Amino acid sequence: MTLFRLECKTHIKTLLTWIVVVGVLTLGLVSLFPAMKDMGLQQMDLKSMPKDMLKAFNLSDMAALATIKGYFGYEYQYVMIATGIFAAMLGTNALAREEAEGTIGYLYAQPITRLSIVGSKMLANSLLYTLYWAVSMAIAFLGCILFKESGASVHELFKSFAQLAFSGWVMGLTFLVFGFLISAFLSTNKSATSLSLGIVFLTFILGVVGKMNDDFQALVFFSPVDTALPSTVFKNGIEWKYIVTDLIVIIVSCLLTFWSYKRKDLKV
Amino acid sequence: MPVIELSHISKRFGKFVAVNDLSFSVEQGEFFGFIGPNGAGKSTTMNMMLNFIKRNGGEISLLGKSVPQHDLDVKKRIGYVPSDVRFYPQLRVQDLIRYTLDFHHMEGDQAEIDRYCELFQIDRKKKFGDLSLGNKKKVALVCALIHHPELIIMDEPTNGLDPLMHARLFRVLKDKQEQGATIFLSSHNLKEVEDYCSKVAFIRSGQLVGVEDLSQVNKKMKIVTLKGSKLPFDKMKAIGATCIKKEEQEARFLYEGGLAQLFSTLSNLSTDLEDVTVANRDLEEQFMSMYECQEGERL
Repeated sequence: MTLFRLECKTHIKTLLTWIVVVGVLTLGLVSLFPAMKDMGLQQMDLKSMPKDMLKAFNLSDMAALATIKGYFGYEYQYVMIATGIFAAMLGTNALAREEAEGTIGYLYAQPITRLSIVGSKMLANSLLYTLYWAVSMAIAFLGCILFKESGASVHELFKSFAQLAFSGWVMGLTFLVFGFLISAFLSTNKSATSLSLGIVFLTFILGVVGKMNDDFQALVFFSPVDTALPSTVFKNGIEWKYIVTDLIVIIVSCLLTFWSYKRKDLKV
Repeated sequence: MPVIELSHISKRFGKFVAVNDLSFSVEQGEFFGFIGPNGAGKSTTMNMMLNFIKRNGGEISLLGKSVPQHDLDVKKRIGYVPSDVRFYPQLRVQDLIRYTLDFHHMEGDQAEIDRYCELFQIDRKKKFGDLSLGNKKKVALVCALIHHPELIIMDEPTNGLDPLMHARLFRVLKDKQEQGATIFLSSHNLKEVEDYCSKVAFIRSGQLVGVEDLSQVNKKMKIVTLKGSKLPFDKMKAIGATCIKKEEQEARFLYEGGLAQLFSTLSNLSTDLEDVTVANRDLEEQFMSMYECQEGERL
């Protein structure tokens, strides 16, 4: 519990920064919806673009951009990528930073097991991510209510956002716990940011390739971002086959993290 | 019952053998010194004791319990001062002290904390990252002492401390020793080891050179330094003196026999000698002779 508190206190500023930046960005994007709709965004002619490419960038249904759900679904996919990076960075830094900054020497001189170190850090970072995601979703939902087109159902919007909140939460936890697994093998956090970016973009690209080519559709299973994109969730609801895949990754990464960290020689 | 018992422990990093078949024990209430040149394996040994790193062989028992099996129980009763103090820089000193007590599930004695902070002149409101090297060390010392450990393990604790704080630290440690605590001190400051430790273990190239009782050995051993153009090696050998250093016009001998015999011999040789010095063998001399020997082996 002590390490849990310490970890939360250490990251509270980072959490607030991310919430403020993402919140302002979300409100800014959503507030543009009425003006974009009036400009006739949905009537843009993208027929000259390859269909697969439009599909890959979630632009296959231009008419949907005239609704707040469709517009938000398109704009918010970039925030989803940023969210994945935030979650992955929390994970990859969690254990490696202690060794890089030498604070592991203090921590491990205290009566706390390695399993407790990993467990407390995982819980604390999961809570931080959950808070970030809950506040981000609340801001996004309120923004959509404020700027929705006339006639859009609030109840329907709430239902869609509830599904998105769940899918996005699982997506973030997947990156976070996978980041922990990487962190358990690192002895410095110098490469944590680049690794986080790499993981998120690589898996996102796998999802794009999976969507573009039916032969590679299985690749979508390796893309937590793609399966949690607002446009996908608003259209198909929660797709449990992808959620179960994410949960399997979470459980396996979790077990491997505990196993490897217990055997690790700490760099002090 | 030994408080520290290392039995044939070894550690390899790839092909490099950092510690090789190291065994010694430290009894309860001892002020035990652990010395050796840089890279001898002191920190690696301590890291294995604290289970920071896994050993490749051997057994470690602390406070009667094997490590790492009883790591948690043992760490509740240990205070550790690292050589390079790197605590959480964003935390204030008072928070670090609070967290340390929380990790030990202790409320802590506020009067005692106040006393330590006053003694070591620690500003509790400052952030740890803003402290100087010496002040960081003082915070580490307080964090290692506030939970009343039975075993205090220190790696270069006086590095960065001014002479006043140095003296205060050893006064506190002596008090702790009188209260029954065992102190394990790794240091390059041979004077402080000699002044405060009752026993000392020498380590070289990852192997134990010996464990010596400082209260016994050094008083009996004399270092005789002779200067002159005709140095009497044969006559010194005849009285049991061992030559430990030989230069063109100077030689140093280790002598363990009676002083009457030594001075009688030196008196007879006085005409051939330019200068004679007889001194107790101090730890520095012992360390230097071992270090030079190691360098010789490497060459």
